[in-house]
Amino acid sequence: MNTYLTRAVALAGSAALLLVAACSAGSGTSSGPSTGANQSLAIGLVAEPASLDFTTTDGAAIPQALLTNVYEGLVKQDESGKIVPDLAKSWTVSADRKTYTFELVDNAKFTNGAAFTAADAVFSINRVKTAWTTSLKAAMDVVQDAKAVSPKQLQVTLSKPSNDWLFRMTTRIGAMFSQTGVDKLATDPVGTGPYKFGSWKRGDSIVLQRNDAYWGTKPFFNQVTLKYFKDPTALNNALLTGTINVIGTVQAPEALSQFTSNTKYQVIEGTTNGEVVLSFNNSRPVFKDVRVRQAIRSAIDHKALLDTCFAGRGKLIGSMVPPTDPWYEDLTQVAPYSKDKAKSLLAAAGATGKTLRLRLPTLPYATSCGQVVKSQLEQVGLKVQIDQLEFPAAWLTTVFKNADYDMSIIAHVEPRDLGAVFSPKYYTRYDDPTLQQDLAAADAGDEATQVTDMKKAARRISEEAAADWLFLLPNLVVADKNITGLPANAITESFDLSKLARS
Amino acid sequence: MVLRLVERTAVLLVSLAVSSVLVFGFMAVLPGDPARVALGVNASDEAVAQLREQFGLDRSLATQYFDWLGGLLHADFGTSYVSKVAIGPQIFDRLQVTLWLVVVGMIVALVVAVPAGTVMAARHRKISGLALSAISQLGVAVPAFLAGILLIMLFAVKLGWLPANGWTPPASDPGMFLRQLILPALSLGLVQGAVLTRYVRSAVLDVLREDYLRTARAKGLRPFPALWRHGLRNAAVPVVTVLGLQLATLLIGAVVVERVFVIPGLGSLLLDGVSNRDLLLVQDVVMLLVVAVLVVNFLVDVLYVALDPRLRVGQR
Amino acid sequence: MNDEGGSVSRGAESALGVPASDPAGRLDGPAVRRTAGRRLNPSLVVGGIIVLVIVLTALVSFVWTPYDATLVDPAVRLAKPSWSHWFGTDKFGRDLLSQIMVGSRTTLFVGLVAVGVAAVIGVPLGILAAMTRRWSSELIMRANDLLLAFPALLLAIMFGAVFGASTLTAMVAIGIATVPSFARVIRSGALQVMRTEYVLAARAAGRRPFPIALRHVLPNVTSLITVQASVSFAIAVLAEAALSFLGYGTPPPTPSWGRMLQESQEFLFSAPRLAVFPGVAIAIAVLGFNLLGDGLRDRFDPKLEDRR
Repeated sequence: MNTYLTRAVALAGSAALLLVAACSAGSGTSSGPSTGANQSLAIGLVAEPASLDFTTTDGAAIPQALLTNVYEGLVKQDESGKIVPDLAKSWTVSADRKTYTFELVDNAKFTNGAAFTAADAVFSINRVKTAWTTSLKAAMDVVQDAKAVSPKQLQVTLSKPSNDWLFRMTTRIGAMFSQTGVDKLATDPVGTGPYKFGSWKRGDSIVLQRNDAYWGTKPFFNQVTLKYFKDPTALNNALLTGTINVIGTVQAPEALSQFTSNTKYQVIEGTTNGEVVLSFNNSRPVFKDVRVRQAIRSAIDHKALLDTCFAGRGKLIGSMVPPTDPWYEDLTQVAPYSKDKAKSLLAAAGATGKTLRLRLPTLPYATSCGQVVKSQLEQVGLKVQIDQLEFPAAWLTTVFKNADYDMSIIAHVEPRDLGAVFSPKYYTRYDDPTLQQDLAAADAGDEATQVTDMKKAARRISEEAAADWLFLLPNLVVADKNITGLPANAITESFDLSKLARS
Repeated sequence: MVLRLVERTAVLLVSLAVSSVLVFGFMAVLPGDPARVALGVNASDEAVAQLREQFGLDRSLATQYFDWLGGLLHADFGTSYVSKVAIGPQIFDRLQVTLWLVVVGMIVALVVAVPAGTVMAARHRKISGLALSAISQLGVAVPAFLAGILLIMLFAVKLGWLPANGWTPPASDPGMFLRQLILPALSLGLVQGAVLTRYVRSAVLDVLREDYLRTARAKGLRPFPALWRHGLRNAAVPVVTVLGLQLATLLIGAVVVERVFVIPGLGSLLLDGVSNRDLLLVQDVVMLLVVAVLVVNFLVDVLYVALDPRLRVGQR
Repeated sequence: MNDEGGSVSRGAESALGVPASDPAGRLDGPAVRRTAGRRLNPSLVVGGIIVLVIVLTALVSFVWTPYDATLVDPAVRLAKPSWSHWFGTDKFGRDLLSQIMVGSRTTLFVGLVAVGVAAVIGVPLGILAAMTRRWSSELIMRANDLLLAFPALLLAIMFGAVFGASTLTAMVAIGIATVPSFARVIRSGALQVMRTEYVLAARAAGRRPFPIALRHVLPNVTSLITVQASVSFAIAVLAEAALSFLGYGTPPPTPSWGRMLQESQEFLFSAPRLAVFPGVAIAIAVLGFNLLGDGLRDRFDPKLEDRR
């Protein structure tokens, strides 16, 4: 439980969340992938990984490229958020909810030739505790013992019941590694997935090749290129001129009109796990007063904000839960927009005229939304001073590590991150024993209890105004018309390339 | 002349040593713990401490400095904090890309600037000269990235003649390499060309005022032949100087064009390094650059002597 | 960044090469008297007018703009140019004309800081290098060359990382990177002055170096300083735009032409005017300062006028 809380949350870098695949050079005017004309695909993404080893390097870009595609877990999340089999055909949970028994698939093989067995699963689970260095590894602390009952049966015993553990097994933490394939994780990943790692041109692209020995349904494309763009306009131009087939993450929603009005392209809009949070430093005296926090939530016209800073794309949410989680409720009316209410709350708290420092990371959405937030808060009598901090380095140190800020704006893109974000140890410095109780009960109980308790927790932070939720980042994907299999919602850490095809 | 060469070499060596201290010192004061940034948001404190140790960041600055310098002298650039791969090959890769861009860009610039600048100077008061002056003034005034964006909008997006961005190594697909090189080289070259034109113009103007040229004109030679025979060689001295320095500074200065055209060059590598706090990599790239500028400076000095006989005696 | 302080330096030196003949007559008297009655120089006039307009715009923006330049008003976002918003509005519903007006202050600030830093360090260095003994002069000029090896863009990014991104830090960095060009030009000018008869006379009379520098050298290199300042000003404005494009420029919400241009990128197809106005403003400002520099140079350097 505690491990869950201490786990930090991945922050959206350049909003790295969404990926999409693209197809081969369709348009003929320009390049496209150079091999296998009809079988290859090029996808434009925004954040390039710094390394390929997500056991020691953080960053959403690595699992985005590799998870589900190169690495697989025992279980995965389907598009509706349900946990479904992957390398485990099935599993059972004991009555005390502490022992999980997984039946593994028979024919899975690593790309280094080794067969996937329960021994590899034990190795991978134990390795999280010993060799991983990102604090995500804490999700595995609850595991007391993992053993191979037979080559195809794995038993995992937890020290206490935890709903969250099985969920975390769908993330990178649950990736299955080969006992003989972890020497060069940073440059040469080895997994069981439908694709194998091909090559990496640093600063440019990663190429994945179809794994012809894959145990499941083999993917349509024999080669997928993940091409990385720093500049959103360059990304758009690449699709317009046929250099890529899919824009995985639209960074410039205002520019979408050039695609929606063109019949050559399809635009997909769904939801993500990326809550854009206006975070408060709850350890600052001014934010200890709940009225100030509530006043800020009431002062923000979320609809106008979304229209202004993200072209109206995305979804308004009233708490830290995306619509794809089982305990989602529409909480946008907990703090409806009202300047008068905001003013009177501020007056009652004696905070009118106070100056707040809004320290923004240098990310486009944060810069945009920050200016709207400033303007709206100033209309109810607060003063807002905007500072920009270079992302990631300066922002991480100043805001995230040292909590030297009053307010900030960042997208928290990790799945089910409510508990992690609103913890006294996190940069929000949100210390609320009631919330902790609800979360603990949710983790230990059965599925129905989990939903009830998580709903309570979500309502609690919304009513207490632990932060303000500006909006949920949309999954915005643009692709050539003939690409199929693109997911509407992007709710996992990976971009699943296996279902993509060209019609 | 030999003495001068020895003296220059000594200066070069001292400059290199001083600049290495400067570069290293600057990295040492950068805020943001490289180990923490390398490990990211989810890093645990123990892991950060461990990584610091692994990269030797816990050692004294002096030790780190001499370690780094020693490595460089053996062409060992070290291992990146972030990607954990050797830095040398990465820099070399990116340098190749940027060199293509910069060299072709400079050729474009020269092709534009030398005739334009000469005409501007020779026809200093005529309509043609003034018109060229006006055009070059406009060229200088346009930010390079804007020029790039406009070229993309026109030739790639609207007309579809050329790819909007990307990079293909010449060896793997020469045709695509050329097609992708045209627009970035043009946007770099045209803007640089406009800058260079002004130097060519003033260099030629200076030459036109020299007595020997007046004499040549007095003997009845028309302005262009006179220039051609006697002047261009002398006008070349300041132009070569500017060119050399532009070449060296453009290794990083091209970053804007690299960004617009999504070219994985040296400038992009450096920017990524700075934001990831991949300090060793930044240190190496900056040092390489400083070495490049200083060496170009040195070569230009030597070239001065070769191009301009009057300088051989040493005016300084 | 299409030009670095470095590339200007030596080129500018040659362009500004002070004539060895009769420097007293040229450098002694005030420029105004010397050139009085000469034909008006078009570069100077046009450049001067542009710069004047920018300065006036900046001054006016302190007391009046059509709207508050930072006022976010989603109701009128992306409005087309009209009588109420002459240049239209941006995605925040901010009035573009007001932003351009206030942005001119940023542009002037950018130039003044960069040029100020460069001149305050570069001019004394240049004079010192001209007036001191060979070895110390050599030392200064070598240190100068060393500084030249650090590209302006690099310095700006590093300064931003160390001191936090702001217009001031970026421009101090650009200024420092411009020091070498000032020092070189001033040194070369000062060397000429040092050879003039009245300086030789002053030295022979036992005047101390500092008064000589202040009374004779500095006044006679002001024309060079002005020309160099004008050109460096233009470079600083371009540098701010390039830094903004890379995300190291003026942070919001302060209006800045460079950032406006950068933010306009996603509207290039739907609302190109968002790029046109700041783009043209930058180009005009750079053009203005460059023309002013050229004009001043031609005016101060009569060779160009007298030629042929």
